[in-house]
Amino acid sequence: MTGAYPSEVVRVICAVASPFIALFGLYVIAHGHYGPGGGFAGGVFVAVGAILPRLTLDERLAYRIFPPALGPLAAGVGMLLFLLVAVVPLFVGGAFLDYGAVTIAGMEPARVRYLGILVVEIAVGLAVFGAMLLIFDTITGRSER
Amino acid sequence: MIVPLDILLFITLIATAILALHVKDLLAATALLSAYSLFAALLFAGLSALDVALVEAALGAGLTGVLFIAAILATTRHSEPRTDPRRRLVVIPLIVAFVGLMLYASTDLPDRGDPDAPAHTGVATEYIERSLAETQTPNVVTAILADYRSQDTLGETLVIVTAALSASLVLARRRDEGEGTEATPADGGLGPDASDDAPGGRDRGGEERR
Repeated sequence: MTGAYPSEVVRVICAVASPFIALFGLYVIAHGHYGPGGGFAGGVFVAVGAILPRLTLDERLAYRIFPPALGPLAAGVGMLLFLLVAVVPLFVGGAFLDYGAVTIAGMEPARVRYLGILVVEIAVGLAVFGAMLLIFDTITGRSER
Repeated sequence: MIVPLDILLFITLIATAILALHVKDLLAATALLSAYSLFAALLFAGLSALDVALVEAALGAGLTGVLFIAAILATTRHSEPRTDPRRRLVVIPLIVAFVGLMLYASTDLPDRGDPDAPAHTGVATEYIERSLAETQTPNVVTAILADYRSQDTLGETLVIVTAALSASLVLARRRDEGEGTEATPADGGLGPDASDDAPGGRDRGGEERR
């Protein structure tokens, strides 16, 4: 399943393409305000960028770029980030997940909500990326326990 | 949307779904399921639901296929045919009844794009009118998903993370027991056939690769 693919064409194409797929994923996450996409789709693209080297490249190389421990770590960090953003408005008198209640000096509430959306998208992207990587590593028997 | 294209896509969609159920080779079934997701994504795009189409194309047509193939390589490639003929007597009437119920219910649905539909008279109008001013986000879908309805998104993210953690807890092998025996994810539960097939399935996968 995993490990170096015998055909050099496949190896080179995947090695060249996977960083761009991951980069497109980051673009989709960051660009959710203006176009289709957001955390879910972007996180999946980044995960594909991490899984493609595992399928085609030498194992030592692929697992050094994205180690198996990265999956649960990213999923947990993303989930925690989301919960943190959700809880912060409670301390300034707002409702759960009401980013607009947070006041930042020199910034109108709409701008704060804009930033809140951005943080949520990043958190969702991290969580989805981690979850997909963890599932793949589990199925291929490479997850650490 | 273009009506002839929609009809063609729907026919292809149903054909891939039926074929995926009928083929015995699970690898072919996975490829057909990916094709199904791709056609579904095209249909979503035709309805201008680009956010859904992007997720369907990335997740349904892309990553799910990879995960299924990984699962096939870890287990077996051939599906066992169901031998009990009495299953049909139960299953087919159930399916017919369910489809009939859905078709009956669909006659009550409002037309596509009907401005008086209940979905368009409630809070949706407020979102569309005010989201740009309130959140500075031109994409209404993102504003709804990550701001107005962010609790739903929180729940969805929680579901995905929980699913990954559960899969890891159930399937992951400890390092000490994974050395000698190749790919027996769980003792028992799968039955003797599955544990016999598991190493063979992995070997076959290796041969195809070469």
